[in-house]
Amino acid sequence: MADTSTVIGETILVRGNLQGDEDLTVQGRVEGSINLSRTLIVEPNGIVKAEVSVSNAVVSGVVVGNVTASDSVEIAESGRMIGDIHAPRVIIVEGARFKGKVDMGNIKEGRAPAAPQRPTTYRPAVSKPQPTPRTVATPAKKPAVKPAPARSAGKSAASKAKPTRKKKKVVVKKRR
Amino acid sequence: MANVIGSSIVIDGEISGDEDLIIQGTVKGKIALQESLIVENSGTVEADIETRNVEISGQVTGNIRASDRVEIKSEGRMTGDIKAPRILIADGAKFKGNVDME
Repeated sequence: MADTSTVIGETILVRGNLQGDEDLTVQGRVEGSINLSRTLIVEPNGIVKAEVSVSNAVVSGVVVGNVTASDSVEIAESGRMIGDIHAPRVIIVEGARFKGKVDMGNIKEGRAPAAPQRPTTYRPAVSKPQPTPRTVATPAKKPAVKPAPARSAGKSAASKAKPTRKKKKVVVKKRR
Repeated sequence: MANVIGSSIVIDGEISGDEDLIIQGTVKGKIALQESLIVENSGTVEADIETRNVEISGQVTGNIRASDRVEIKSEGRMTGDIKAPRILIADGAKFKGNVDME
C-alpha cells in the first residue's frame, strides 16, 4: 500500500468531493466534502469549507463545516473552526477559536458507534404517500365523426374545454 | 512547489490553481492550472484540462487546452482533443482525438 500523502498547495482550489485512503494536507482551499480513512491536516493558510469525515483531523487553519472523526479532532492555536465536531477525542488548544457543537459519541457503551453512518443532513425516511386515485377520466377524443377539417374540429373542442371566450359564429365549411 | 494527489485519492469536482499538480490518483471534473499538470502512471483523469503544460503517463479522458505543450509518454493513454502549440507523442503512447496546433 502506497504510504503517500497528498498535499494541496496554497494556490490550489478544489471544489467537489474528495475521498481517499491517505493523509491529506490542505494549504489551499477545499470546498465540498472530504472523506478520508486517514488524517486531514489543515495548515495555517488552509481553508476548508466542507463536510469532513476522517479518522483524525488537525486544524491549524480555517474549517467551516461539520467534522466527523473516528479517532480525534484537534484544533491548534492558529485554528479556527465553525461547525459541529463528532469525535471520541477532541482537543482544543489555547488560542484556538471554535464555534459549534461537540459530540464525543458514546459516553456509555452499547450506543450508536462514534462515527455516524448517516450523512449530516438528516433525512427522515418518509414513505411516499400514495396519490389518491383520481376519478376524473379524461374523455377519450372520439374520432372525428364529421369529416371536418382540423380547424373546425379544434374550435368546437376549444369552446368546450377552454374557459369562455367570445363566442364567434363558427362557420363550418365542409370540404369536398 | 508541487502538489501531489496521491494514488488512493479520488476527487470529483474542479481543481484550479497557480502551481504544478501531480496526479497519482483519480480526478473527475475539471482542471484549470497556470502551471504544469503531470498525470503519473497510476493517475486517471476524466476531465477537461486547461493548463500550461501537460505530461501524461497515465490515463486521460477529456479535452486539453495547453498554452505551451502537451506530452503523452509511452505509458500514456489519452482520449480527447488536444489544442496546444507543441505536442509530443512518444512511441508506445496511445491517443485518440483531434489535434489542433494552431
